[in-house]
Amino acid sequence: MASTRNRGKLAYKILFWFLLISLAPMIFVGWHLVGITQQSLRKETLAMQESLAVGFSDTVYKYVTTFRNVLTETAGLEDFVSMNPARQTQYLNRILQIHFAVLELSVLNDKGVESLRVGRFLGPNPDLRDFRSEELYARALGPQGQFIGRLERFQGLYPTVTISVPILDQRVTPARAVGVVVARVSLNGLSTMLAMEFPASGKSQAAVMTRDGFLIAHSDPREIYRPDARMPAEVEKVLTTQDNAKGGGEIAIEGGKRLLGAFALIDKLDWIVYVQQPVEAAYQTAADMKTQIFRVLIWVVLFTVLLSLAVAGHITQPIRILKEAADRLGKGQFEDLPEVVTTNDEIGDLAQTFLGMSESLKEKTGELIHAKQELEKFTKFLEKRVDSRTRELKAAQDELIKKERLAAIGQMASVVGHEIRNPLAVINNSIYFIKTKLGTGGEPDVKITKHIKIIESEIQQANGIINEILTYSRQRELQLERVRINDWLEELLSVYPFPPHIQVDKHFDPGNPAVDLDKTEMQQAVRNLIGNGVEVMPAPKGEGHDPHDDPRGRLGAHRHRRRRLRHPAGRARQDLRAVLHDEGARHGPRPGRRAQSRRPP
Amino acid sequence: MAKLPKLLIIDDDAHLRESLAEVLELDGFECHQAGAAKEGIAAAAKIEPDAVIMDIQLPDSSGFQICQELRKRSKTTILIMMTGRFLSSEEKKQGFELGADEYITKPFDLAELSARIKQLLSRNSAKG
Repeated sequence: MASTRNRGKLAYKILFWFLLISLAPMIFVGWHLVGITQQSLRKETLAMQESLAVGFSDTVYKYVTTFRNVLTETAGLEDFVSMNPARQTQYLNRILQIHFAVLELSVLNDKGVESLRVGRFLGPNPDLRDFRSEELYARALGPQGQFIGRLERFQGLYPTVTISVPILDQRVTPARAVGVVVARVSLNGLSTMLAMEFPASGKSQAAVMTRDGFLIAHSDPREIYRPDARMPAEVEKVLTTQDNAKGGGEIAIEGGKRLLGAFALIDKLDWIVYVQQPVEAAYQTAADMKTQIFRVLIWVVLFTVLLSLAVAGHITQPIRILKEAADRLGKGQFEDLPEVVTTNDEIGDLAQTFLGMSESLKEKTGELIHAKQELEKFTKFLEKRVDSRTRELKAAQDELIKKERLAAIGQMASVVGHEIRNPLAVINNSIYFIKTKLGTGGEPDVKITKHIKIIESEIQQANGIINEILTYSRQRELQLERVRINDWLEELLSVYPFPPHIQVDKHFDPGNPAVDLDKTEMQQAVRNLIGNGVEVMPAPKGEGHDPHDDPRGRLGAHRHRRRRLRHPAGRARQDLRAVLHDEGARHGPRPGRRAQSRRPP
Repeated sequence: MAKLPKLLIIDDDAHLRESLAEVLELDGFECHQAGAAKEGIAAAAKIEPDAVIMDIQLPDSSGFQICQELRKRSKTTILIMMTGRFLSSEEKKQGFELGADEYITKPFDLAELSARIKQLLSRNSAKG
């Protein structure tokens, strides 16, 4: 999986901190060690170079004074003091034979003029020179009793020094100078010695120079055998300005190079012995230490990287599995979770806690889902209830509107009915009066009788319409009263104005049951039924009719038990049925008219 | 010659009053008329009718008050309330409690009314 291949930020953080923790002390310590080493090396190198310079200054002095001593010993020889040219020539040639560094020898007389002159590169009769005004003559005869100086380059290349000592006649007291012996000595031997001491394979170099910068000797032959051989300007400047007999330090020269140099002054010759070494060479040990430390650092880095990756893998892998499991939990995938590794450490504790949390979450989510389903059910139930209540309210509102409308109609109908019933009553009375009057005067005119009946019929129809309107518009609650049905019917029938041709047969329940009914409403209903029955049973025409013959009305009250509904007390509801039969002009009995009332249980 | 039963008709509608009186006179009643409550009470006091037919709604009073007044004066006089509108049970109950004997609704069946009055009169006679 891609998620497991990616190491994640934690691994890189661990790597970073491991590297920081492991490398920073090493770099810090290494840096300081190298610095300390460099300081130590610098100090040691300078001390060593200074020691070499001091030692070599002594060697140089001895090297030069050796030739001076040869000259002094020769000049002290009795044969030489005699100033016999032949004998002096022998001695001088012998010196030339023994000391290859001596290039030329001269004898000056007491006047400072050259009386004898021999040399390796001179012809048979060289020119004799006058040195009366020369320092080498004056100083040889002066208090110093010697002269070492006049540095020159033989043939423009090879450094030479001129040494002169007096020729003293010891036979008189005090001794008397009879002349001066002068030698021109090659200083190549010094360079040879320096080269041997400081070979080219090494990094150190040494040189001998005068205070005015004349380069006398150098460990590198390429530097000394030149007409303009001098030390670098920076070195020369440092050396020619020293007041101390010895010392050393770091010198920066052209090209950015840095040198560690030490010097020692040859006081009696006023020459300077100088030993130098490049800083890089001096600090080679420190450089080696740097290299070694760098190698160690590389190994440490490699080891740290591997270690940190291993540690990061050990730490992050369970955490990544936990993260993946948490992601699935977040999406509601409680099944098929990746296997969580439980180890005996804090990560294991975390895994255990996570497992507990996932179980709890699963359980809680299940509860939530169940609660949501219940809530949805309850919501649907409430919606149904709201719909039902809304319908009920709408029905109630419609009923209320209807009642209000009916009340208004009823009020109006009551007024209108009252106002119309009065004239109807007047008309009714008048027509009754006319009919009665006509009847008393014999058989009335058929057409008059017909029209009287038409008027009566129209009065009844108009009154019926008014009654219907009033009935329709009258909204009243049923006012139930408990009555004995037989008694109530008897009273009603007793006052009903049955026509003479109607015979009433009554078949009452012997038990005279008690019923709850609205007497007004029920009386109106029964009277209407009777009226309808009477209406369809007109009086027979002609004489001799027996009123006890058919048709006849039959009225009865019967208990009828129903079990469709049950009273809250558990008793069955009973209905009472009043059946009215009439036998009108039609053939066969008419269907019974029924008035029904609830009977108390 | 037998004495005719006396009827007092109290109604503000003269036509109805007269037509009703004339019809009932044909049926053997001696009818008197009054157009208002006060007039009716005065007439009743004067003629002492056997029966009074009175409209419930009169200009100067209600039929119930007349009924109550007349019942105070005579326990035997038949009092018939006449109305052109529906009466509630409470109203009818009130009328009966005040002494009314019957209710009739306009337009009424004159033969039935006549028969009812005669029946009530005969009952009173039987009791008397």
